[in-house]
Amino acid sequence: MTDAQRIDLLDPAEVARLGGIEIVAQGVVEGFLAGIHRSPFRGFSVEFTEHRAYQPGDEPRYLDWKMLARSDRLFVKQFEEETNLRAMILLDASRSMAWRGAPARLTKRAYGDRLSAALALILLRQRDATGLITFDEVVRQVIPARVKAGQWARLVRGLLDTPDGRGTAAQAALVHLTLLARRGLVVLVSDLLFDRELALTALRYLRHRGHQVVVVHLMDPAEAELAGPPEVRFRDPESTASVVVRPRELAHVYAQTVRREVAAWRSACRRHGIAYHHVLTDMPFGTALRLLA
Amino acid sequence: MTFLHPLALVGLAAAAIPALLHLLERRAPPEADFPPLRYLSEAERQSARRLKLRHLLLLVLRTALIALVVLAAARPLVPSRGSGGGAAHQPTALVVILDNSLSSGVVVDGRPLLDRLKAVARASVAHAGSADRLWLMLADGVARAGSRDALLATIDSATVAPRRLDVTAAVAQAARLVDAEPLPGREVHVISDLQRTALSVGGGEASVPRGVRVLALAPPGQATPNRGVAAARVTDGAVAIAVAGTPGTGPAPVTVRLRDRDVGRALAAPGSGVTVPLPAVAPGWLVGEVALDPDELRFDDRRAFAWRVAPPGAVRAEPGTGPFVAAALAVLEQGKRVGSGSEVVIGERTQAAPGRSVVLPPADPALVGQANRALAARGVHWRFGEPGTPGPIASSILGGIAGIAVARRYRIAPANGGGGRGTGNDTTTLATVNEEPWLVREGDVLLVGSRLDTAWTALPASPAFVPFLDALVNRLARGEALVVEAEGVPGVQFHVRGTDTVGATVYGPDPRESDLTPASADNVRRSLGAAVFEEARFAAERFAGTRRADASGLLLALALLVAAVELGVATLTH
Repeated sequence: MTDAQRIDLLDPAEVARLGGIEIVAQGVVEGFLAGIHRSPFRGFSVEFTEHRAYQPGDEPRYLDWKMLARSDRLFVKQFEEETNLRAMILLDASRSMAWRGAPARLTKRAYGDRLSAALALILLRQRDATGLITFDEVVRQVIPARVKAGQWARLVRGLLDTPDGRGTAAQAALVHLTLLARRGLVVLVSDLLFDRELALTALRYLRHRGHQVVVVHLMDPAEAELAGPPEVRFRDPESTASVVVRPRELAHVYAQTVRREVAAWRSACRRHGIAYHHVLTDMPFGTALRLLA
Repeated sequence: MTFLHPLALVGLAAAAIPALLHLLERRAPPEADFPPLRYLSEAERQSARRLKLRHLLLLVLRTALIALVVLAAARPLVPSRGSGGGAAHQPTALVVILDNSLSSGVVVDGRPLLDRLKAVARASVAHAGSADRLWLMLADGVARAGSRDALLATIDSATVAPRRLDVTAAVAQAARLVDAEPLPGREVHVISDLQRTALSVGGGEASVPRGVRVLALAPPGQATPNRGVAAARVTDGAVAIAVAGTPGTGPAPVTVRLRDRDVGRALAAPGSGVTVPLPAVAPGWLVGEVALDPDELRFDDRRAFAWRVAPPGAVRAEPGTGPFVAAALAVLEQGKRVGSGSEVVIGERTQAAPGRSVVLPPADPALVGQANRALAARGVHWRFGEPGTPGPIASSILGGIAGIAVARRYRIAPANGGGGRGTGNDTTTLATVNEEPWLVREGDVLLVGSRLDTAWTALPASPAFVPFLDALVNRLARGEALVVEAEGVPGVQFHVRGTDTVGATVYGPDPRESDLTPASADNVRRSLGAAVFEEARFAAERFAGTRRADASGLLLALALLVAAVELGVATLTH
């Protein structure tokens, strides 16, 4: 399969026109897996098997520092997969996620659905137990992590059955995760338009409980760069708040504010050992999945 | 501030357009959902002050831009202190006094002073605008109204005039002239050498109405040495010469010329006089010249003089005239000043006999009426009247008898009882007592108010009696007019009656013009009510009170600057 045939690298909106979530997710995963030669999630919750010589491109975190100290040579540790990985995908289904900056683009929710489905499929194919929680102001759907057959279909149905919500309160969903007894992988897919400190408090708690936490910050390109008519009243879809602005006058400062916000999220997550990825909804799914790998 | 096109100011209403557009734009904007409103609110909060300032700045700049363009179109004229021909000024009534009097002919630093004065006067007139009202006053004191070009031509053609200008009187006249003009500006430019003698005698001050600016060119700092012939008069066979000039100037040779021949020479300094004897000449009218060595002012270095050398008159005294007259005539006859004959008769002349007569009042008061009838019969309009009060004789013509007491006299009065100094065209009052005629000439008749006797007057006993009688019989009774002096182009003008020359007027410059001592600046300010300026400052102050500069260019430049700033603000803040 050439890159030109890999749908995981195509424009998400074009890929979405190929069919429903299942088809798109499967196509994306096929293409994605064909492009790599090892398990994308190797390294977590697996048993050590052997050493091999370090090669450029290997992640430094797998370097065996003791061997380096003893032999002055670089070796990386090889692990063997386990099947008892428990992954939980948290998808923000608030009203703000149902927005897109241009008709030709996917909404953040549609993008998040497909990305979540693809991620779940990859994890399930690795025989990792995968679950799903959708939320807005409250938790809408909870599909416990399983590895049994038909789990992916349930997850997809869960995505489809979750309507666009109203406000956003990720804290409730994250608190729900604290009920999980076993450590695992938590992937939060959201536009993060909620209180950062409250969300970070919950994420930090998960991290404290031993979970590996990944935050996928979805953003429409139109949210990164302000544009529009000479003067416009912008409404917050999740509240009654509105503001009248002249986009041309405010574009520069707005872009700075967004960059500062993203940097703040990235910095806060790094500080707490949380992986953070900023994903624009025009980014090919394969590229987004590679960020997560 | 005034405007050349004030109607254009209506356009200032357009300055409200930016504000109106701003208000009109405040309609409801379109609405749209935008989830990251918190980022937007944060960005707006950070930019609120900057944006408000920007909007305000743009509003002000755009309003100012329109206002500046409209004001520029109205062509504003603003007060300006700058000099130069580019500055306009409000309509002004201007009198330029160009003092081309004799003293302006002095050569200073190798250049005639008048040339410098003409250049300054020319600049004053040249800077006048078409709305100004202009006059030019030269040394003749006549205010010439005219267009700028006409007056410039007059200035260019002005030459040194052989006359004196009373600058104080000229300024007063000019100030009245411009004050009568209903124009915003009124100025008098005094362009003169401002010698101290040009100001009114006695320190009089020109009355300058309020609102009239008098600008005077500063007088030179130092006096130019000069000598001039102030007067030359022939008396008793000699010419008496008076020399005037700048005080402190040393003496210089004075030459007397007669018929192009030097006949005498003397040394004289300003303020002094010399007498140079004249050679014996044949009877008749003669013209001579007194000349000084050339100096910086040439125009006063020569002066003409005229006199008549007459043959002795044939005189007869009637009986009863008195011993003093007889004795005096004997002296004159001995000196060959008179001869025997009846050309001139001295006496009471109570009979109406024709001929030249010196008529004395009768010794007998009863004969006064007969004497008057005789005068009437001869066509004389003067009569002997009531006895007059005693007093001294006053005469400008017969200087020798001035001040001599008169104890008795008859009033000499016109026959018709009218006042005045005579009744006929040929009547001259030669001397007065108590301001009443005492010696009168009409035609070939001389009337004396007193008998020439010491009981009537002290004159017969004075040394002036013989010269007085000489003048009576040889000059006055024989109808010879006096040689008079007048200001004007140097020369002699003879007075002719029929075929006879009866007198002469000798023209020459006013001797005060020879004194080139400049007036002090304080004196000029006080006398003329003028502001005194050196030449450069004078040019700057010309029309300064009403000078206006067209500010439209500046406003347009400012508008361009504002437009550039507006463009910069609008572009850079986006």
